[in-house]
Amino acid sequence: MNSNEFDPEALIAAMAPLLGLTLTAESRAEVALHLKIAAEQAKLLLSAHVEDDAEPAPVFRP
Amino acid sequence: MTDEILDGSAAAIANTVKTGAASALEIARAALARIEARNGALGAFTDVTADRALAKAEAIDAARARGEKLGPLVGAPFAVKNLFDVGGLPTRAGSKINRERRPAAKDAFLVTQLEKAGAVLVGALNMGEYAYDFTGENSHDGPSRNPHDLGWMSGGSSGGSGSAVAGGLAPITLGSDTNGSIRVPSSFCGVFGLKPTYGRLSRAGTFPFVASLDHLGPLARSVADLALAYDAMLGRDDADAAQADIAAVAVSPSLNQGIAGLRIAKLGGYFTRSAEPSALAAVDAVAKALKAERMVELAKAERARAAAYLITMVEGGALHLQRLKTRAADFDPDVRDRLIAGAMLPGAWVAQAQKFRGMFRERALALFQEVDVLLAPATPCRAPRIGQKMIVLDGKEMLARPNIGLFTQPISFIGLPVVAAPLWTEGEKLPIAVQIIAPPWREDLALRAARVLEEEGVARAPVAKWEP
Repeated sequence: MNSNEFDPEALIAAMAPLLGLTLTAESRAEVALHLKIAAEQAKLLLSAHVEDDAEPAPVFRP
Repeated sequence: MTDEILDGSAAAIANTVKTGAASALEIARAALARIEARNGALGAFTDVTADRALAKAEAIDAARARGEKLGPLVGAPFAVKNLFDVGGLPTRAGSKINRERRPAAKDAFLVTQLEKAGAVLVGALNMGEYAYDFTGENSHDGPSRNPHDLGWMSGGSSGGSGSAVAGGLAPITLGSDTNGSIRVPSSFCGVFGLKPTYGRLSRAGTFPFVASLDHLGPLARSVADLALAYDAMLGRDDADAAQADIAAVAVSPSLNQGIAGLRIAKLGGYFTRSAEPSALAAVDAVAKALKAERMVELAKAERARAAAYLITMVEGGALHLQRLKTRAADFDPDVRDRLIAGAMLPGAWVAQAQKFRGMFRERALALFQEVDVLLAPATPCRAPRIGQKMIVLDGKEMLARPNIGLFTQPISFIGLPVVAAPLWTEGEKLPIAVQIIAPPWREDLALRAARVLEEEGVARAPVAKWEP
């Protein structure tokens, strides 16, 4: 994905009813900011090659 | 005289009680008096368990009178971040909402373990709401303050844990660390902190944040106290599903073995970018003292941080979703809006992050074939001012709250054990800490290196000067 094209307001509009969340205008602006930051982090993460058979670590054993 | 003992280590307090130079009751009363005198300014404690502490101290003195064997921490006061269950108190986890819960029926496992070693619980400590915090601020209870300068952050989310130790209110406290919440207060308040290996210490009886990443550990003013507390807290506990079935080894016996033969290196790349000169100078000072001349790379650390960031948002958002639906106005707004955003993120991102986690672990384990201990900054800067929303790193202005932990997050992401060791620069009123990072299950190596730094006076954790 390209975070430059990401519209956090659209995601909030779609997800808030699905999750049963009611957001104030002030909260909405902050949530949008955090979604943007998350999208930047996701872009970074998704740029890493991960093998199909890489094992996820839900209960992690270092 | 008893009051001055409180500036010393837990080990010294225990020795005082064992020899009879002071009774456990005298120590407990002095500790409670000091909390009463100083906590108004520091905001470290949210609950003081005075009756319980006095009763425990009396029981210790009676046991001593009967000639019973006394534990290694006998009579030493300790306090716990208020996400630990303390029998009789609601486990508020820094929130307004949770304080409506029924009081905990019993203590958290680690509280019980420390009490078995003779330590005396004196209270529960302030923290960032639901542990989603690096500042030590709390909109419900007020901030825990940095004892070395009250206008500056204590660090979070175990802010009260750092503030209480640096302020001389308790020689040992417990905190939690999901992305840096022990190591950040250690850095800002100038105390030693130990984040053990993921799965080492039981988390049973604590309020969770991110099950994939949550750790618990001690903060103290001496490395020996960290080791004593850690040893006391070891123990198998089936109530924590993530606790690893790997035999634990006590670290106190090897604490003074030094670093001869250990291969110690600085982490370069990601861990040198976005750090203020003070953070890099601290790492250099530690490297010099530990004769660490190499610099090595832990590749993809930035992506590891991103993965930890996303796992935290998603698991945190999921944990609190019901409360966000029904009690949104009762959250700290700074925490709430990050949690809401987390609840809205794609599942594919966090699934990928968990897969990446395994890959990043392999990279780190490969690096540990070459080195035994790694060094990195704990925080990119010294403590910001309380209320400061933005910090400037690498010439870029960014939100303080999510970015203070950018050097701690990649390390806890794969559960490596870390000691945060605080350094002081002449002329500076605030400290900054360095992470001493060891392979999984090798807390002993990080503690041995920290002990060398302490012995050589490179790292130290003084009680803040108190001016009533």
